[in-house]
Amino acid sequence: MSGVPAARERPAPTVVAGVVERLARDYGARASTNASVREQHGHGEGLADAALPDVVVFPHTNEEVAAIVRLCNAARVPVIAFGIGTSLEGHVAALYGGVSLDLSQMNRVLEINADDLDCRVQAGVSREQLNAELKGTGLFFPIDPGANATIGGMTATRASGTNAVRYGTMRENVLGLTVVTADGRIVRTGGRARKSSAGYDLTRLFVGQEGTLAIITEIQLRLYGVPEAISAAVGQFPDLRSAVQTVIVAMQHGIPVARIELLDELQMRACIAYSKLAGYEARPTLLFEFHGTAAAVKEQAEMMAAIAADHGGGAFRFATAAEDRSQLWKARHNAWYAALALRPGAMGFSTDACVPISRLADCVLETREDVERSGLVCPIVGHVGDGNFHLLVLFDPNDGEERARAEALAQRVSLRAIRMGGTCTGEHGVGIHKLDALVAEHGDDAVDVMRTIKRALDPNDILNPGKTVPPERRGQA
Amino acid sequence: MTAGDPILERWQERVRAAHAARTPLAIRGGGTKAFYGEPVAGEPFDTREYAGIVDYEPTELVVTVRAGTLLADVERALASEGQMLAFEPPHFAPGATVGGTVAAGLSGPRRPYAGAVRDHMLGVRIVDGRGEALAFGGRVMKNVAGFDVTRLMTGALGTLGIVAEASIKCLPVPRVEATRAFEVSADEGIRRVNEWGGKPLPLSASCFAGGRLLVRLSGAAAAVESAIAKLGGEAVAEGAAFWASVRDHAHPFFASARDGAPVWRLSVRSTAPYADLGGETLIEWGGALRWLVAPRADAAKLRAWAWANGGHATLFSAQERAASALHPLPGPLAGLHARLRAEFDPRGILNPGRMGAVA
Repeated sequence: MSGVPAARERPAPTVVAGVVERLARDYGARASTNASVREQHGHGEGLADAALPDVVVFPHTNEEVAAIVRLCNAARVPVIAFGIGTSLEGHVAALYGGVSLDLSQMNRVLEINADDLDCRVQAGVSREQLNAELKGTGLFFPIDPGANATIGGMTATRASGTNAVRYGTMRENVLGLTVVTADGRIVRTGGRARKSSAGYDLTRLFVGQEGTLAIITEIQLRLYGVPEAISAAVGQFPDLRSAVQTVIVAMQHGIPVARIELLDELQMRACIAYSKLAGYEARPTLLFEFHGTAAAVKEQAEMMAAIAADHGGGAFRFATAAEDRSQLWKARHNAWYAALALRPGAMGFSTDACVPISRLADCVLETREDVERSGLVCPIVGHVGDGNFHLLVLFDPNDGEERARAEALAQRVSLRAIRMGGTCTGEHGVGIHKLDALVAEHGDDAVDVMRTIKRALDPNDILNPGKTVPPERRGQA
Repeated sequence: MTAGDPILERWQERVRAAHAARTPLAIRGGGTKAFYGEPVAGEPFDTREYAGIVDYEPTELVVTVRAGTLLADVERALASEGQMLAFEPPHFAPGATVGGTVAAGLSGPRRPYAGAVRDHMLGVRIVDGRGEALAFGGRVMKNVAGFDVTRLMTGALGTLGIVAEASIKCLPVPRVEATRAFEVSADEGIRRVNEWGGKPLPLSASCFAGGRLLVRLSGAAAAVESAIAKLGGEAVAEGAAFWASVRDHAHPFFASARDGAPVWRLSVRSTAPYADLGGETLIEWGGALRWLVAPRADAAKLRAWAWANGGHATLFSAQERAASALHPLPGPLAGLHARLRAEFDPRGILNPGRMGAVA
């Protein structure tokens, strides 16, 4: 396709100074050029080396966001939406400087419509805050990526988590949005209705666009009844294939398991040591959680136990009491820290490839061998029901060669997943780290289309430039 | 997916030629949803020659199908493995194709509980308005690599690209299904389905018409039995046939529509109170979807009511066609549509006007 946009450059310092001055005048203390504030906004929780914005501004209303975006669009200065900074792929790094738009002060739950099973929140509301405000309504918002991310950030990165098999991801649970477009217009997509809009599905286009097509300011979310009963179970397996096969059979039976988590031998060893789990062995392990009525939960757990037993899943244990359950899930939630404790002083990052479930065991085992050859220490956890797994790559931050080896290993995981018919990213998104893998996955032609969508909606390339879609085809500088 | 297929290459050549000559193309499959959207004047472009199941691996719960494949053939293949398309797509008549199902983006009775067409779309192959064959998404359940073009294509009525192939998520057929009936008023029917919708009950469909509320329960035996014990109601013997009739508008409510009376589709928040809008109403989707037989002249009134209740009103079918069947979009939204349309189909040759003023 013609008209490939040129790579962006940093705006001229005088232009940036003009924008900073204007923001300072309009927003006073809510526009900060303080070095530590800028530093804090220059990176997420991933590996990215920080790239600092020139100024951080804290808007309170849709109209303020629109005014800031209009100002930046006129001056062609980058605007990077920022929630709470838990993204993992360098999404918030200000590669070309510009304005970090911190939405954390837009943190009101605007409506809770208990009867309609939906709510409307501002982008800066955090996941835990929303669930705290839902207490007493009998409803909850199930998507849980682990971190206490903002709903705006979760929407922009199309987040999911451990219970996607049952409740879906942000894609299925966002009913509508208010966004500010690159030209500073406030646009509402979707709405209260389930089949929301006439016309194209812009809501879905804006979910997962990583702040590159529009700034998300309000989100209408689907809510769920708090399950009447919850129970958990653990099964330990002789090998990884048996564990994965157990999950495949369960999916074939349509057992609506709320969560299914896989921990490999190494991760299990780490969790036993870190969370002091008694009575478990360092073997491939599945954690299950069932949601529903008391009768349904009991039936699901029994069916699951029978399937696990067929696959050598001995010692299938149930945990119905809340404290037993929370011990197990706490251990899963702390898997990251448990992994880090395998190698004190190490830093880590996580891959998030996703493959067709029939290839999951192959992909994990091939990856295991690759890890052994690399000489690194990398436990594995997985949301097996989706074919999604995380390799937790540990490396010595003071050893440049080792870090390069770790990054090369992660790159091979992406390409392996793509080769097996999967994706380089099932959860964390593209950001800056997976731009090459994106092209490997979709091909240049499909990525060209994404580029033209970007150009159509953000012709001046001000919205989070340099992320999600590579700015140009390789070799076409 | 199948690149370099001779039929697909012919499609590309034809679209390239149409692009060069600015010839509008009227894309069609079985024509079972030709009534939906605005009429298109163009050279017929029939997708049915590109048919067949490309890949179906039951353990993956994914089927990859060419656009011209009959929906009935896909459903039969899935049923033989104990699986289904959970969004319960309407056929309306024999001959419905997968391409039409994706392009129309219409879902059936199970939609509020199992998700819409778009929620089950994992990947698409399209031919865009320049004749380029492009593939998006894939065959895995979770994918956050880049913009969600797959969903953008779903329900775009062919105006962003000709759907050539789709990878669609399948689900196991529920072990047990039961339908229960309740004699209630419309208000009470809306109240009940909303209340039940917030509870951990295995609801999978609802339909209120003529003073009777019917709900379907689907799931494991114990879950369905305990739900029946909670809800009560009277057993309906021919449940499967009843829901198929709602799905395909063969239900007696739609009899006048078959004779050409205008049928409106009002998509609103599920708790919107029952309103006497001057015609008979059938209510689905736990209250979120209201079918109404009412004259075209009522458009302004119906659209105002739907808008006030968080949704929109579409003139779904009518013998006599007129402009503005689809709910008009507010200005800024229409602008975004136009910009996207211009990128995928710069000369506006794909189903021009099918989406009304937008595309």
